Amino acid sequence: MFAQNKKVLYFGVKKKYLTLSGFPYMIYQVSEMNEILKQALLYDFYGELLTDRQKEIYEQFILDDLSLGEIAQGAGISRQGVHDSLKRCNKTLAEYEEKLHLVEKFVAIKGKISQINEMLERFQETERMEFIHRIREISDEILEEL
Amino acid sequence: MAVKIRLRRMGKKKAPFYRIVVADSRSPRDGRFIEEIGSYDPNQEPSAFTVNEEAAKKWLNNGAQPTEVVGKIFKAAGIEK
Repeated sequence: MFAQNKKVLYFGVKKKYLTLSGFPYMIYQVSEMNEILKQALLYDFYGELLTDRQKEIYEQFILDDLSLGEIAQGAGISRQGVHDSLKRCNKTLAEYEEKLHLVEKFVAIKGKISQINEMLERFQETERMEFIHRIREISDEILEEL
Repeated sequence: MAVKIRLRRMGKKKAPFYRIVVADSRSPRDGRFIEEIGSYDPNQEPSAFTVNEEAAKKWLNNGAQPTEVVGKIFKAAGIEK
């Protein structure tokens, strides 16, 4: 029932997906959406370092996509209070990232591993040794970054 | 009954994945939802959406309120009332 009228949409930073007239709008889309991914990863890595109260509010905001008003109602505080709390959470998480760079490393290594997988697939198709050498290079880069 | 269309995070740690769900705004936290109408996967490059256009339009016409993020997805997908 769902599969028939399912529409798959892609947004990319890659320019080939963008038409000239749609350019600024699409870029906006991408940065906005990647913000969600960034916040989610920051929370996954450092969320346990927030206080229980902060976690409760932050989770409702980023996991359940609740509005400030809805969170405020549930927690029995003002909308402004929720706003301040979220702001403080973001600041705390950003500070941890600034010191530890766990998310940055995670994203970089994940990207390199998918490069390795791609090289492996290409090697299986072509059996050309240059792809194996490239895999070696990328794996050395990963080791250096750890 | 106020009905909202929002994202709900699924997927494991460090691999976020979202469903676009239609849910009652008064019971926001019990995990129940009325209908799943799409998904958003930011792990792919570029990130990918799926939206059941027909269902989305139906809910919008019935007065369901999309959250800010879902509104942006709909706008990008060209879904309007």
